[in-house]
Amino acid sequence: MRWSVIGWRLASFVVAAGLIALWQVAADQRLVSPVFLPGPDRAWASLMRGFTSGDLLAKLMGTLTHMAYGWLLASIGGVALGAMIGSSKAMRSYVAPTLELLRPLPVSAIIPVAIAALGLSQGMALFVIAFGSVWPMLLGTIHGFAAVEPRLYEVARVLHMSRLAVILKIALPSAAPDILAGMRLSLTVALILAVVCEMLAGLDGLGQWVLLSARAFRSADLFAGVMLLGLIGYVTALAMGAAESRLLRWQAARR
Amino acid sequence: MAEPALALVQSSPSPARAQIAFDNVALTLGGKAIIDTISLEVAPGEILCVVGASGCGKTTALRLAAGLYEPTGGSVRFEGEPMRAPRREIAVVFQDYGKALLPWRSAAGNISLALETIGMPAQQREARITELLAKVGLAGHAAKYPTEMSGGMQQRLQIARCLAQDPKVLLMDEPFGALDAMTRQGLQDEMLALVASTGATVVFVTHDLEEAIYLGDRVVGLLPHPGRVGLELTVDLPRPRDQLATREHPEFLRLRRALFDFIKASE
Ligand SMILES: Nc1ncnc2c1ncn2[C@@H]1O[C@H](COP(=O)(O)OP(=O)(O)OP(=O)(O)O)[C@@H](O)[C@H]1O
Ligand SMILES: [Mg+2]
Repeated sequence: MRWSVIGWRLASFVVAAGLIALWQVAADQRLVSPVFLPGPDRAWASLMRGFTSGDLLAKLMGTLTHMAYGWLLASIGGVALGAMIGSSKAMRSYVAPTLELLRPLPVSAIIPVAIAALGLSQGMALFVIAFGSVWPMLLGTIHGFAAVEPRLYEVARVLHMSRLAVILKIALPSAAPDILAGMRLSLTVALILAVVCEMLAGLDGLGQWVLLSARAFRSADLFAGVMLLGLIGYVTALAMGAAESRLLRWQAARR
Repeated sequence: MAEPALALVQSSPSPARAQIAFDNVALTLGGKAIIDTISLEVAPGEILCVVGASGCGKTTALRLAAGLYEPTGGSVRFEGEPMRAPRREIAVVFQDYGKALLPWRSAAGNISLALETIGMPAQQREARITELLAKVGLAGHAAKYPTEMSGGMQQRLQIARCLAQDPKVLLMDEPFGALDAMTRQGLQDEMLALVASTGATVVFVTHDLEEAIYLGDRVVGLLPHPGRVGLELTVDLPRPRDQLATREHPEFLRLRRALFDFIKASE
């Protein structure tokens, strides 16, 4: 069991190393013009240079901030709204059709509207990121709250639990798996939208860095930015997974 | 133990004395009469068992007693007071223990839920939890999640959580119905001992006629469509009951025969 896990880790590591080696060979052989494809060595050097003498760290922080604020806003709003809708049958039947109409709307269609209303501002970015990433959490919370075992509500009635206690001690923990799954999906959406907003509105962040690098044919810088974006996606997903398995420890017993 | 005979006097109701009283209770759900005029009194400390064919309204009657349903006719009273909502003095042990426990809370956490709700200060809870777990034979399982426990253990845990309410009345809906015969007999005896030590009043719904006689001071048989009382038997068997001796007692056999015939005729 342990050994197979280690084996898989090792295998994935080897695959990653192989791909990087392949990349290096392709770059060295000039299979693609270096204007478009720098080798991993050049990309790495550019990454280091960006951190030490450039403002890459500031850009990284910018993207992380946009992503985090938007995602947190969406989380709070999504869970609160979802709890309200999900815990009432009437609300569900009134609001669900509207949600079904709004949900498939591509967020890219919202961006021009947001720009028209809020300008090329941080506020616009916050709105677009939050609006785009709220859906998985909103729908997850609605589903989670609607699926709470009715027997548990009866237990709460017999115990005379307050409304707040019922939400905090029964509905929320019961819906936690759905909510957390939504939060995990939203994380990716938030990152994508942060980059898009930075590109469109010229906000400080990796999106802007990548765009400017591409326009100036600084392919090594471009790749450094893309690598950082990949890293953000990877690390946040990892952190979310760790938080999830900690919060849902009780589910491990069930499996 | 209160004298069961007292509770039998139906024609002269004694509201002050009855722990729970049904006064011409009727319940219509969705235009259908589920319960029609049940009058019944449960004396303090009494163990009343309710039997009846499937779908005759046992669960519904229990939910009325718990205050989870409001009667559409007549009234349900608790110690003489009309009951409009569930109350903490009345604990309910549900049959589906798997659904009634919080899967995200450990055994200790599930008991804690009741203690938190009655407002017990945090520093007192742990000792009380340990005591309650020991009482139901779950000492040492405090950290286990319900899904890590057997059915019998889960039902014990639910009973412990009910005891944490410090109830005067335990309403039990086929609590041992889903358990195997050995576990069930063990839990029957444990429950009798617990009830004897707390002096709680018990209304116990079951499909199992022998279980009803074994546990009860009195057995009520319900008739279906709509649910109403068709039979009342006083169980005159010595306590403490014994799985072998009691079940071989001539009175036990006589009562079993009477109940069997009743159920047969009601179907
Ligand atoms: N909410 C409801 N609305 C309409 N009918 C109901 C409702 N709940 C129960 N019934 C009906 O009332 C009758 C009695 O149900 P109840 O669950 O009380 O029976 P029971 O004696 O507990 O049955 P079992 O032994 O199978 O548990 C059944 O015919 C059932 O279909
Ligand atoms: Mg039932």
